[in-house]
Amino acid sequence: MTDTAGNVIANELLATKLHAPRRRRELVHRPRLNDRLVRSHQPVLTLVSAPAGFGKTTLLTEWFGDVDDSRALTAWLALDEGDNDSAVFGSYLVAALQTVAPQVGITAVAVLHSARSLQSAVAVLINDLQTLSDDVVLILDDYDVIHSTDVHEAIAFLIEHAPPRFRLVLASRADPPLPLARLRARGDLLEVRAADLRFTDDEASTYLNERMGLQLAPRDVGALEVRTEGWIAALQLAALSLRGRDDVAGFIANFTGNDRFVVDYLAEEVLERQPRDVRDFLMHTAVLDRFTGSLCDAVTGRTGGKATLEMLDRANLFVVALDDRREWYRYHHLFADVLRARMLDEQPERLSELHRRASEWFDAHGDASEAIAHAMAGRDVERAAQLIEMATPMMRQTRQEATLRRWLEALPVELFEDRPVLSLALVGARMATGDSIGVETLVERAEQWLQTPHATPIVFDHYEFTRLPIQIEMYRAGVALLAGDTDGTIAHATRVLELAEPSDHLPRAAGAALLGLAHWSLGDLDKARIRYTESLECFVKANFIPDLMGVSLGLADIQIAQGRLRDARRTFESALKHASVYTALRGTADMNVGLSELMLESNDLDEAARHLQISTELGEHAGLPQYAYRWRVAMARLRQAHGDLDGALELLSEAEAVYNTDFSPAIEPIAAMKARVQLSQGDVASARRWVASRKLAAGDDLNYVREYEHITLARTLLAESSDDTVAFVTRLLAAAEAGNRERRVVELLALLALALEANGDRHAAVLALEQALVRAVPDAYVRVFIDAGAALISLLRSVSLSDDAKRHAQRVISGANPTNAPPRRGGLVDELSARELDVLRLLRSELGGPEIARELHVSLNTVRTHTKNIYTKLGATNRREAIRRAAELGL
Amino acid sequence: MRTHQVRSYLADVTTDSQYEIRVKGHLGLRWSAWFDGMSVTNLDDGTAVIRGTVVDQSALHGLLQKLRDVGIPLLSLEQIPPNEFTDNQRT
Repeated sequence: MTDTAGNVIANELLATKLHAPRRRRELVHRPRLNDRLVRSHQPVLTLVSAPAGFGKTTLLTEWFGDVDDSRALTAWLALDEGDNDSAVFGSYLVAALQTVAPQVGITAVAVLHSARSLQSAVAVLINDLQTLSDDVVLILDDYDVIHSTDVHEAIAFLIEHAPPRFRLVLASRADPPLPLARLRARGDLLEVRAADLRFTDDEASTYLNERMGLQLAPRDVGALEVRTEGWIAALQLAALSLRGRDDVAGFIANFTGNDRFVVDYLAEEVLERQPRDVRDFLMHTAVLDRFTGSLCDAVTGRTGGKATLEMLDRANLFVVALDDRREWYRYHHLFADVLRARMLDEQPERLSELHRRASEWFDAHGDASEAIAHAMAGRDVERAAQLIEMATPMMRQTRQEATLRRWLEALPVELFEDRPVLSLALVGARMATGDSIGVETLVERAEQWLQTPHATPIVFDHYEFTRLPIQIEMYRAGVALLAGDTDGTIAHATRVLELAEPSDHLPRAAGAALLGLAHWSLGDLDKARIRYTESLECFVKANFIPDLMGVSLGLADIQIAQGRLRDARRTFESALKHASVYTALRGTADMNVGLSELMLESNDLDEAARHLQISTELGEHAGLPQYAYRWRVAMARLRQAHGDLDGALELLSEAEAVYNTDFSPAIEPIAAMKARVQLSQGDVASARRWVASRKLAAGDDLNYVREYEHITLARTLLAESSDDTVAFVTRLLAAAEAGNRERRVVELLALLALALEANGDRHAAVLALEQALVRAVPDAYVRVFIDAGAALISLLRSVSLSDDAKRHAQRVISGANPTNAPPRRGGLVDELSARELDVLRLLRSELGGPEIARELHVSLNTVRTHTKNIYTKLGATNRREAIRRAAELGL
Repeated sequence: MRTHQVRSYLADVTTDSQYEIRVKGHLGLRWSAWFDGMSVTNLDDGTAVIRGTVVDQSALHGLLQKLRDVGIPLLSLEQIPPNEFTDNQRT
């Protein structure tokens, strides 16, 4: 089952993983172990590492399972092979914690799905845990099934950054690959090992005689204890063997008189003493990892499974209940292996049939994962392939592509030859997990099926089969994009739109988006805008909001370039509105950066700062790939607007280091931005060096992608009082006009005015200036004039303009000199509040967040809020920077 | 690219390395099938030797994990050069 955001949520079966095991009836109290827990001073990690059957889980239920006594919130999670998928593990981690603290982890799940990073999700989860005032214990049972390095790293991260009240407990059959030595040295590890868990003579005596009701002499107890070496599972089997047996002495003599591996010997003893039908039941159901009455019936081909399970449970014969209603069980791991080995030896020919029956039951009960696992285990690869094919749409929608890929890659390669839908499923799963190995071959083979008349491939999902041509064209369009083949992208994406039905919203959305991108790269902004708009509409119809964010960003960029600032604003706001049903959806931070830049265009500096602050609070994981550099560029522009040109250059250098336009065309290179700032500082030499490094010249051919750089060249020429300036700017102006790029037109007209003025042609200069001002009115461009430099402002002041132009000129002039004094270096729009100054003072020290909170007698969250505000007001991105800037400002 | 295979209980027929794993305690011979068709020999000193062909390192670790899951103590593991191994006791 999933919610609207496509997140996997717990259903009835999966709840068994979160179930806290009950305390066992025959519990032998062991003060010596309980003392260790009490004396351990709550270390962050407790590790119980011992082979199967040593009573690890039992110990943990004794220690942490007493809900009434305990002051801690205790969450349990039983791990299995499927938890090696990061998305699955993260979901269960949060679900487990939510059983005791429902309010945690909501953002973590959002991060997991949008950023696809388990460690980021854990980081956010840790923040949530810090807000809890109770102690929290998280128990992960069967940790030894984990082999994924991502999961191990996330757990190591959790241990390293755990809040003070949090404890992690791991039960495992082998030491996990975590930094145990380091934790041990720091006193942060409580370890319980096999040697600790073995029953002593006294404990064995209590167990056998008092709990199991045997009446063994001390010498016999001793013999058993020696032979089993205190291994609890073995003692349990011995007790079961001895129950109701007259010849105790004979049994013990036999048992101690041979070298048989204890579990092997005893399990056989116990099994032999069961009635035939119970023995068959045990052996046949051993193929199952988890079972319930009706599943057992399906597999054994009999009835009465439920009653049999209840009987086994009462007799304490190897079954473990997985829930409180006694519906689902599993076998003790040790015993399951013994049963399976016997099955393999005695009735191997029945195994495929048993697995097939299990597969069918799970399929009928909607558990695709188990159905497929059993099909594979029974070596019925064809059945597995069919089940996977049918499960693919659901797996895609719930974004479990990693699991889907694992299933598909476990199938024999030959199977894909005849199964085009399955092949495309693998193509999609690989590409979604960032891998294009062997994908082209699969696509070509699938295509052959489509192109061969009268072909009969093996297909189960017939609807998907009809969609194959579209899928293949989308794939090819994607490949062309990756290869930088714009024409190819256009050709294939156009085909997608031709093949798609009007109701195929998703393929239409994806195809239109690719076309938009391609047109944009070629400088055809009108076509790009139309396609992006189409794509957005289709994503909305398909209710695929996450993919809508990136497209919105592209559309808004184009609208801005075309001087449709109000449209751009609507685009950002509409995207944010759609995203509001999610928590911290990736792309919301980018929308806010975009709004900030819009505000800056009309010189509304307060609003620009406010939107940047919102995006900072949303955080990195709410940003698309471009976010890191675009935030820094926006902040740099804000600093420049406040007159802090050095600070702007610093941020632009940072932006360069994280530059990433995703696939959008790189039309505003940061080096060019830096050159412009340097020109504003009067540093013409640096700008000239940049021009030379880019080999730009006034005689260049003009194209859209280089326009920004060429305009920067024009500014440099102007600063150098070059004779070429007027002619060059005129050429650029013609190109921008032809391409409907209104903002550039306004910018170039302003530059032209300056160039003409410098040539002594005041009359023409005024005409150009008037034109610029008039055209700037509809979208309220102010910044573009201020950025043209002091020369433009004095030109504005000194000439007489037409009435239309004069109003806007006034606006520009007052924008150039905000309120009081001329902008001094580092002037702040917002002063820091008294409280913020307090926090700032403490930021200068070595104290960490929690310590600062204690000093000021406030919560950690309050400190965090103040810190964020301080950073934004100072235009800083980290603590060191904030301290430096504060020092500059004399705070 | 190696074909991905379904995890199988039955032995693969290849000519790769032979391994000998010594464990503490005798095992019933019925365990042979569970250990991918390796031979099981119980020795007088109370140990048992599991011996046979192992396809690669992953298969070896899979075998070790099976032994771990059953709980039988491991004593030693040795790779046997092919020409020394004359008596392949396959069931």
